[in-house]
Amino acid sequence: MAVKESLPAPDELTDEQQEAVEHLLYRLADDEFVVAERYTEWQVRSPTLESDLALANIAQDELGHARLWYDLLEDFGYTESELVWERDPSEWRHSTLVEQPFAEGDWADAIVRSYLYDQAEYIRLEALEESSYPRIRDRIQKIIQEEDYHREHAENWMSRLAEEKQGLERLQTAFDRLFPYALTLFAPTDEDVEDRIDELGLRSDPLDVMREEWLDVVVPFFEDLGVSVDDAELPEQYDVHHSEFDLPEHVGRDQSHTDAWFDLQEEFTHTYQKLDRHEANRIMKDPDEA
Amino acid sequence: MIWEVFRQENAGDYHEHCGNVHAPDREMALMFAEVQHARRKPTNSLWVAPKDEIGEVDTEDAKFGGTTDKSYRWAVTYDFEAAASEVEESTDEQAEADRRRKVQQEKQEAQGGD
Repeated sequence: MAVKESLPAPDELTDEQQEAVEHLLYRLADDEFVVAERYTEWQVRSPTLESDLALANIAQDELGHARLWYDLLEDFGYTESELVWERDPSEWRHSTLVEQPFAEGDWADAIVRSYLYDQAEYIRLEALEESSYPRIRDRIQKIIQEEDYHREHAENWMSRLAEEKQGLERLQTAFDRLFPYALTLFAPTDEDVEDRIDELGLRSDPLDVMREEWLDVVVPFFEDLGVSVDDAELPEQYDVHHSEFDLPEHVGRDQSHTDAWFDLQEEFTHTYQKLDRHEANRIMKDPDEA
Repeated sequence: MIWEVFRQENAGDYHEHCGNVHAPDREMALMFAEVQHARRKPTNSLWVAPKDEIGEVDTEDAKFGGTTDKSYRWAVTYDFEAAASEVEESTDEQAEADRRRKVQQEKQEAQGGD
């Protein structure tokens, strides 16, 4: 698809354009931040030292990506504190998939979640490669190159877990629990704003097209492993508009969240609150200076 | 299962042993090695090999380089007229190797070796 006419610099956008860019960036940044926050719960608890380090590495990648996206929101005048440490938890826009607590001690949960997430992540990054917003477009290649490892990691683990009955059962349980939440990855923040994101050429594929593409990848993969998707209640050919899709009560994108999110947010802002901080320490150069 | 990991910094360099990883098979071993041994160091390539497949002979089993004077094997012994530059370079290399060998030998003798 040809690149649409590029949008102007951040401070020259119209209010409507800026709103569309912001929604898109919050989808990206909040997902990355929260999924990483959950992954870190496996530190020193993963099945082996090697799997611990591999997941920690992935979490660090995702935090790095979140940083690149939040940095673009800072173009509009927000500070890191306003975006992360002091933002009301009911204003976050991540999918409810990434805020779910892990089923206790269930490594398959972490693996299935990262598989569902990283496949979706890859598809949406591809749809941003030719974004009409240069600041987004310029950061995609850096990020997308780190995603191969994430998908390979999840796929390798899943195929090994599926080799034995107990592992396969765990995959099935995790799939059944997480799949409805994974569908929210493609839910709109707001129908009008999402349409505007597409019209402005901020991304090259609308949400429902990306969702179909994702289903075409993940559904056969699960089925090949022996995980049944029959209970997932997929509509025939899954080609309905997202609003008709059976989504869980809390979608995340529209700022509705499960209780688990509010607990998690309290946890990761705890130290900031306790130390009565008002700004975040900077330990790295701004991505534009690096 | 333990896999020994070998890291090559630049194309053309030797792969040098840098540690090991626990993994059930080669694919997982490579995946873990990537994070554990190549994430923070410049790396061009990684090898993994099952620990059990690595053969070893050490000083307990062998007298590396023999115990008799082998200086007749070194080209430096025959160096009695000006040589081509390639030969000179090779000679220097061998003289250096010879020097190191002697240092090593002295060290072993000092440690009460035979």
